[in-house]
Amino acid sequence: MLSTFLSHQRKSFWRSRNRGSSIAGQIVLGFFMLYFFILALGAGFGMSHLLTYFFPNQDVIKSFNGIILYYFAFDFIMRMQFQELPTLSIIPYLHLKIQKSKIIKFLNVKALFSAFNLWPFFIFLPFCFIKIAPSLGAVTTIMYIVSIFSIMIFNNYMVLYIKRKSITNTLYTFLGLVVIAAFAALEYYKIISIMAGSDFVFRAIAAHPYYAFAFTLAAIAIFYFNSSFLRKNLYVEELSSKQEKKGSTDYAFLNRFGKVGELAALELKLILRHKRPRSAVILGFFFLFYGFIFYKEKAINTDAFGQMMFGAIFMTGVSIIIYGQFMFAWQSAHFDGILANKINFKDYIRAKFLLFTIGCTIITLLASFYGFLSPKLLLLHLAAYLYNIGFGTVVVLYLATLNYKRLDITKAASFNYQGTGATQWLLMFPYALTPILMYVPFGILNKPYWGLAVVGTFGLAMLLLRGFWVNYIAKRLELQRYKIAEGFRE
Amino acid sequence: MILEVKNLQKVYGDKIVVNIEDLQIAAGETVGLVGNNGAGKTTFFRMLLDLIRPTNGEVLSKGENVMHNDNWKNYTASFLDEGFLIDYLTPEEYFIFIGSLNNLSVADVSAYLSQYGEFFNGEILNSGKYIRDFSKGNQNKVGIAAALMQKPEILILDEPFANLDPTTQIRLKKLLKEQTGNMTTFISSHDLNHVTDVCNRIILVEKGRVIKDFKTDENTLKELENYFSA
Repeated sequence: MLSTFLSHQRKSFWRSRNRGSSIAGQIVLGFFMLYFFILALGAGFGMSHLLTYFFPNQDVIKSFNGIILYYFAFDFIMRMQFQELPTLSIIPYLHLKIQKSKIIKFLNVKALFSAFNLWPFFIFLPFCFIKIAPSLGAVTTIMYIVSIFSIMIFNNYMVLYIKRKSITNTLYTFLGLVVIAAFAALEYYKIISIMAGSDFVFRAIAAHPYYAFAFTLAAIAIFYFNSSFLRKNLYVEELSSKQEKKGSTDYAFLNRFGKVGELAALELKLILRHKRPRSAVILGFFFLFYGFIFYKEKAINTDAFGQMMFGAIFMTGVSIIIYGQFMFAWQSAHFDGILANKINFKDYIRAKFLLFTIGCTIITLLASFYGFLSPKLLLLHLAAYLYNIGFGTVVVLYLATLNYKRLDITKAASFNYQGTGATQWLLMFPYALTPILMYVPFGILNKPYWGLAVVGTFGLAMLLLRGFWVNYIAKRLELQRYKIAEGFRE
Repeated sequence: MILEVKNLQKVYGDKIVVNIEDLQIAAGETVGLVGNNGAGKTTFFRMLLDLIRPTNGEVLSKGENVMHNDNWKNYTASFLDEGFLIDYLTPEEYFIFIGSLNNLSVADVSAYLSQYGEFFNGEILNSGKYIRDFSKGNQNKVGIAAALMQKPEILILDEPFANLDPTTQIRLKKLLKEQTGNMTTFISSHDLNHVTDVCNRIILVEKGRVIKDFKTDENTLKELENYFSA
């Protein structure tokens, strides 16, 4: 029976309607996955080097012991945000002559198919074999593996259990991250140390290997709790996260923009009330840390803005890029309604511009903490900001008029590439390359601030021309409306 | 003539889905479009609303081609399917949004909705649900009420009776009949009883063509039943 379920799952994946159309997206996704797995594997094999690099004055095994619980705490938070409840897939089986226990078994097995259950193997196992086996012996190694595996299983079912029991939301995830960060800070100032705790636990396991079974017991216990909860509540209505009472909202600050504000409020509700766009927005906040990769001390000191430009454009414009790449398609479910109602195309486009400007402004303000690294970066951000709201918005909206792919926004965002085509990825090049190309001549002539000024001025000029762009894109949309509407109907 | 259709054709591949040479609809008429699945009713309605580009021909609303400008939207309201609803809004938010497009204030909208207590049967307003969480029938009610709220001169409804419970079907018929005279109504339906009851003109389509076009009288229902049972 289980194998029948799994074969149905496989079929539902391979035969899903949007699959054929987005093979390119799948390939890109495949590369991403491969990339991450290679990274994880690299981290796994390079673990001893990494650990000596980060904790130079400490025994490697002690450091390794120290990070395990940290990793799983982080893993837990990430799972809370991204791991899906495998619930919907059982609906067609509930009314058939199939024992409940089999369905539960299926749900439990299906829950194991998650990327979260692969990382630990890549990250921790190499070290276990390379370092722990030679110094602590085979039995200890096995028990290390048993405990890591058990904690992973524990996290897996614990998250599902919590998600099934209660409503989780993004706020909790955020709070969780804050708590971990707080512990990291306490660790840094040597007040409380999770690392020491984690080390203590695994040292105990090294000394008394059978202690590891405590984790296994915990994993079994939570697995059992989860199953019995499922057995008692095997109703789709109760398994999916619970319904809150929904209220009507009014965004007063948008009212002053009249009909445009009305449309912008509509879209804001779309973003906040659906998982996929909401995750896209949250992703945008994560990208605020992108700067730490690009803003190297050397680059800052030598005014090499060309190198940092991409980071700045991407960071300040992330809301435009990530949300904008599926522009119009977010509304594919009710695009017919938008066309048939008394909505002026120009107002419609203006609302998009308004929303982009608001989003971009917020992110840019948040990103100003990089000013502590160097106030120069604020100038870079200003140029990037002007470019993004002036011209980036235009590029994105223009590209959107070429997008006919329907998007089901009720599905989750992480690793969901529905509606993505190769074009989307390719066409983002002009977005990022334009400002860099504008800057490069000045960079070569060693006039970096002139370069920034040019990019900024260009953005400002485009911003002043917004009326023209609104007309232009509204015209494009008018031309393309049948094609877009047809594509959005599937 | 408030609506005129001239040589309207829609071709998908080598299949002609809609092929209407000439159709004139006078202001105030209540027209029922009847035909089996695949007769091209929805495609036709979508062309009336400029949602699909006709392969040939044109739709004139008050003499203006609907493809050329948006003036027709000022006096036309429609509900074809859930694709017209913004399903992540609460019904109240949706009504207020639609109202704002037609320059109705929040107070206007609530005054209007208060007449619909009976039609909504107490299930729609203040329910604390998004439209997407409603049953299909209740979603239909939201769409129809939002269309009527716009006080349109032309009302276009696709299968308005589908998914409604019998009580609501009767209430909807009453609503549609009350409006007759000042509003041109164009509805499609599979329910011959309802359509002959509400409409004063029936257009029968088959494979995209108009087969019959006549005023309703006491024999209409029989006639239609004979046609469909043949």
